Amino acid sequence: MESQWLSLLDVSIDFDQSHLFFPRIITWILVILLAVILVTRYRLMVPGLKRAGRVLIGREGEFDHKRFFGTLALTTAYFYLMSVLSDVFPNTGYSFLIMSVAFVFLLSLLYVDHLTRRLFVILVLNALIAPTLAWYVLAQLFRITLP
Amino acid sequence: MDILSHLTPMFFGLIAAGTLIGIIFGAIPGMTATMAVAVCLPLTYAFGLENGIALLLGLYVGGISGGMVPAVLINIPGTPSSITTTFDGYPMAKRGEGERALKIGIVASVFGGLFSAAVLFFFAPVLADFAIKFSYVEKFLIILLALTVIASLTTNMLMGIFSGVLGVWLSLIGTYSITEGGNGEPRLMFDFMQYYLIDGFSLLPVLIGIFGLTTVLLDAEKGFKDEAGQGRISLKGGAKFKFNVFKGQLLNLVRSSSIGTFVGILPGVGGSAASVLAYSQEKNFSRDSSMMGKGAPQGIVSSESSNNALTGGALVPLLSLGIPGDSTTAILIGAFTLQGVQVGPLFIGNNIDTWYLMIIALLAANVMMFGIMYFAIRHIAKVIEVPKYILYPLIIMMCVVGAYAINYGIMFDVWTLLLFGVFGWVAHKVGLETVPLIIGFILGKSAEVYFVKSIESYGNLSIFFTKSPIAMFLWVLIAVSLAFAIYLRVRNRRQPAVES
Repeated sequence: MESQWLSLLDVSIDFDQSHLFFPRIITWILVILLAVILVTRYRLMVPGLKRAGRVLIGREGEFDHKRFFGTLALTTAYFYLMSVLSDVFPNTGYSFLIMSVAFVFLLSLLYVDHLTRRLFVILVLNALIAPTLAWYVLAQLFRITLP
Repeated sequence: MDILSHLTPMFFGLIAAGTLIGIIFGAIPGMTATMAVAVCLPLTYAFGLENGIALLLGLYVGGISGGMVPAVLINIPGTPSSITTTFDGYPMAKRGEGERALKIGIVASVFGGLFSAAVLFFFAPVLADFAIKFSYVEKFLIILLALTVIASLTTNMLMGIFSGVLGVWLSLIGTYSITEGGNGEPRLMFDFMQYYLIDGFSLLPVLIGIFGLTTVLLDAEKGFKDEAGQGRISLKGGAKFKFNVFKGQLLNLVRSSSIGTFVGILPGVGGSAASVLAYSQEKNFSRDSSMMGKGAPQGIVSSESSNNALTGGALVPLLSLGIPGDSTTAILIGAFTLQGVQVGPLFIGNNIDTWYLMIIALLAANVMMFGIMYFAIRHIAKVIEVPKYILYPLIIMMCVVGAYAINYGIMFDVWTLLLFGVFGWVAHKVGLETVPLIIGFILGKSAEVYFVKSIESYGNLSIFFTKSPIAMFLWVLIAVSLAFAIYLRVRNRRQPAVES
């Protein structure tokens, strides 16, 4: 009798399909949990999503669009151009160095509230010195692979 | 003794450098020990395992300790684990005892750090010896227990469990590794992704994205309002620090350090939980707690000794079971993998020299943290004024180095960093819990291997319950952790009702 009950728990895994066995279980658990979350928090989620939409388009709340989307745009451009430039200067780290100088300067400029001449000089010096130092220490001294 | 050959000036110099950089990161609100380790990780690529560990442990200890500086001086915890330091540190600073408050915190921190290093030294090998006997079944249940504990102790249990499972799901993207006994077939992705994701997402770009870039995006969204300059209190003048302030505090130190170490051992439970628990215990059990919250040294002692005790505690499950105790040790697991070392039950036995060096590095980092902070606290306090428009672009730059160099120059890893940086921001907005997600991501692949191998070996699901007394005991622990979490939630719901 006991062995009959235990046989209900028998499982065999086909080796050809074994890569899908565990992911399927996890996907089903994920879907069930998501359904439970949607059902139990539906009343909180709908107004929350509406409010998030209003905040993102700038109709409500404090959200610094310029700095947030500026960070995303600059970072994406930084990565993309670094990848393009690394084909021009392969295995030298120059692509990293050139793009980092531009990126550090532009991002600092984006984040500053009140730009003065003195601050501008500090930002330029920081953008020139810090990436150069990082490039020299990492690529030249430590021989770490850089784009 | 081979170990002595590693104790070079370079080894101790890296501990000191790591500790100092960690303190600086910890002292800047919004930047954490985890971020310090993530950002400085590329530096370890050039060092061997031992020197890399020296730097990383210095960063870890320094990062946790530095959090007390803004907590005392501007009432903002530098790291989440310093939250309770603000309760008494800031009131003390307001009445001119800022330097005294910081030095009380420094002494308590070094006590907590050394206490937990001692626990690590004696307890981790015992736990590892025990864990060596585990079969696939027990190993799977240990991971299940870790994920249950992490998820059940998060702010929202349902979201915590969902986050942990999502982390596991993300880790399964890629091929089912032949080296792990799989069939080498891809899953959970479209055909065009196979070129990039054949081995899945690399761990470190994911971690660096979530802990580095996400932090920058969250601050960018707020517009970088400069909190650091506001309400800062000068350290000049005021009452002097004397060691006799610790008279009668031994019990508080030991109890808080024990709580911190224990919470550190529990995987994924945050540092803030340790300090809040230790603070509330001191409030409940001390003879006179009337001044706590108004500037009592005993509050700083409990908070700082407990949060520094996390460091050794969190390394216990990492080194004995291969399960990270917190987000910082999650990055350490990546650093070990990078050096070709697999942490787990066999780690200590197979790498005995590395194990002793880790203990020495942990002790030295605590002592150096004490030396640096105690004698240079006035200079360190100035760090909180460093503007983020200088720091954050450099952090993103260092994140790129970390992500790119991990696999010796794969640009896709840099895009992974951006992808998970944005994902971390979205996760934060929709209420996903980062720590369960990350731990799920780290342990997901192992969980699959242990689960599938268990079934392939025994062919019946009942084996997970009946394999051994240890397996049964682990199920009891899983049930207890869930029951405890439900009890806490019910109690927390009732309490406000009673108070109102």
